[in-house]
Amino acid sequence: MAEPLPPGVNAKRMADALERFRRVVGDDWVFTGERVASYHDPYTIPNDPMRYKAHAAVAPASTEQVQEIVSVANDLRVPLWTVSRGKNFAYGGAAPVLSGSVVLDLSRMNRILEVNEKFGYALIEPGVSYFDLYRHIQDRGLKLWLDVPDPGWGSIVGNALDHGVGYTPYGDHFMMQCGMEVVLADGKVVRTGMGAMPGNSTWQLFKYGFGPYVDGLFSQSNFGIVTKMGIWLMPEPSGYRPYLITFPREEDIEQVVEIVRPLRLNNVIQNAATIRSLVLDAALFTTKSRYYSGEGPIPDSVAKQIMADQEIGMWNFCGAMYGPPAITDALWAAIRDSFASIPGAKFYAPEDRKRQADILRHRADTMRGIPKLTEFGFLNWNGGGGHVGFSPVSPTTGEDAMKQFRMVSGRVREYGFDYMGLMAIGFRELHHVTVIVYDQTDPKERDKLNELFRLLVREAAAEGYGEYRTHIHYMDTIAGTYSWNNNALMNMHQKIKDALDPNGILSPGKSGIWPRHMRDGTKT
Amino acid sequence: MKHMAVVTLVGSAFAYLAMPATGAEMTGKEVFDHYCSYCHGSGDGPGTMQLGRSRGRDKALLTERTDLTPEYIKFIVRHGLRSMPPFVPSDLTDAKLKSLAGFLAK
Repeated sequence: MAEPLPPGVNAKRMADALERFRRVVGDDWVFTGERVASYHDPYTIPNDPMRYKAHAAVAPASTEQVQEIVSVANDLRVPLWTVSRGKNFAYGGAAPVLSGSVVLDLSRMNRILEVNEKFGYALIEPGVSYFDLYRHIQDRGLKLWLDVPDPGWGSIVGNALDHGVGYTPYGDHFMMQCGMEVVLADGKVVRTGMGAMPGNSTWQLFKYGFGPYVDGLFSQSNFGIVTKMGIWLMPEPSGYRPYLITFPREEDIEQVVEIVRPLRLNNVIQNAATIRSLVLDAALFTTKSRYYSGEGPIPDSVAKQIMADQEIGMWNFCGAMYGPPAITDALWAAIRDSFASIPGAKFYAPEDRKRQADILRHRADTMRGIPKLTEFGFLNWNGGGGHVGFSPVSPTTGEDAMKQFRMVSGRVREYGFDYMGLMAIGFRELHHVTVIVYDQTDPKERDKLNELFRLLVREAAAEGYGEYRTHIHYMDTIAGTYSWNNNALMNMHQKIKDALDPNGILSPGKSGIWPRHMRDGTKT
Repeated sequence: MKHMAVVTLVGSAFAYLAMPATGAEMTGKEVFDHYCSYCHGSGDGPGTMQLGRSRGRDKALLTERTDLTPEYIKFIVRHGLRSMPPFVPSDLTDAKLKSLAGFLAK
C-alpha cells in the first residue's frame, strides 16, 4: 500500500522535498517506502489503515540540519511531524496525526553535551534515552540519579515535553527541565531562559531568565522543535528505603488518598509515589489465562486468588524515602502510623518479598532512577499487545479518587476489559492513569476500545476531569474539552501557531492545534 | 569562565555521543545487549514471557533459539509483532540489524 500524501502536496512536490532532504542529511537518513513501516503506530486504534500514516521520515544529526529541513519544508509546504525518539507508544509512537507528514526523527541527535555533578544537571539532545544517560553516569561513577518513567528506551527530552512523570522526588519531568534550544518554523534558533544572554553561566540553573517564561509553549505543542534541553538530576542521597503498603479492598482507595494528601503536601512522602491496582501490578509478572479462562473481566474470587498468590493487595502503594537513616527512620514512623489505621494494610521492605519477579523489587529500581522495560510485562496479561492510556487529573481527595475509580473501572469492565489503573501522586493532584490492554489484531475490539475511550472522555469532562496527555487519535477530542469561555485557550493557541508557523509545517494537529488552512476540515 | 567551558562542550567534540552513528562497528551481541536484552535477555523480561506464553518455554529465550532466520529477525525488528513495537532505522540502523540478525540466526 502506497504511503499517503498530505493535503495539498502532490507526488512531484513531495519527491522534490525528499531529494532536498537527502542533500541535507545524506541518502542513508531519508526513509521511504517499506522503510517507513517502523514509523507507524504499533498499537493502532482506527481500522482505516491510511490514518496516522507517515509518507516518509528524515533523521537529521544536528541543529543546523534541522534548520535546513525546516527551510525546505517551508519552501514546499511539506508538513513535518517531530519526534524525539518516537517511543511514546501508548500515545501513538512515531506516527503523525496528519497522514502524509514526513516524520522529523531526532534519534540521531543523541549527544550528551554536559553532565554537571556539582550542580546536578545534564544538557542533552532529544535522541538521548534514559538508558543512554544512565550508562553515561554509571560509566563515570558520577553521584547523580536520573528520574525515569517506565519505558527506559524513551527520550528524556520527549518525555519531559509530553509532561511525563517518574518515581523519584524529581518525578515531574517538565518541572525539572531548565533551559531549551528551539528551532522555530522560520529556521531561527532561540535559547530560552538564561540561555538568551551572551556570557551567562546559569542556562541550566535558573529557569526563568527575564521577561515571559516561554518554555511551556514548546511542550505538547507544535510551535517549535526542541533541539537541546537542560534536565536537573538528583544528587545521590546518603540513604534509600523503598517500601510497599498493600490494601485489601477496592473501597480502601478513598481512605488511602485522604492519608496521602497531607503526607505528600508536607513532603513526608518525598517521591512521586503511585497507588496501583491489583491487575496492573499482577500483570507485570503473570498472565490472565493462568487464573481465568472466562470472558470479560476477572471476577472477585479470581482477584482474591491473585492477591494471595502474588502477595499484593487490591491497591498497592509503592513509595521510597531518601536521606540518612535518622531522616528515613522518622519518615517511616510517620508513614507507617498513618496507613496502619486502614484495616488489613500490610507493610513490606524489599527483603520481605519472597519472589524474585516482584513488584516492590522492580519499583525499588525505578524509584532510584534505574531505567527498565519491565513494566511492559502487563502487555502479556491477555496477549493482545495493544494498549492505550486514559489519563484524567483529579484533586488529591478520597472522594475524587473513589469517584474516578468507580466511573472508570465501571465502564472499563462493562466493555469487557480488566481495570488496570494507577494513581500517580503529585503535590496536589492525582494522575489517574488507566491502561486499557486490547487485542490490536481484532478490528472489532479496536472499535469497542474506541467507543469506550470516547465515552470515558465525555463522562470525565462532564464531571470536570481533564486528561493531561493522550494518544494521537484523541488529541482533537481532548482539546475540545478544554473549552472554557468559548474555547478561549485554543483560540490563543491558534494565534500563536499562526504567528510562529504561518505555513503550518510543524506537526499539524498536535494537541488539537491545526494550522489556519486546515481548520475547516480539510485535514483528513 | 564557566560560560566559555559550556560553549566549548556544546559545540565541539567534547560532547559525548550516546551511540555510534551507524553502529557498523558493533557486534551482534553488543546490539542485542543494547537494544533487546531488557525484554528478551532473561526469564522475567516481558519479551521472554510473551514468547514463553505464545510459543512455549523452549522458544522463550531468543539467544537459545535455533529456528530464527536473518530475514525473519529483520522483518520483526522493523515491523514489530503484537506487543513488540518496531525499531526505526535511524536508531537501530541497517548495519546494526545485520549484525543482530547474524548473532541470533545461528
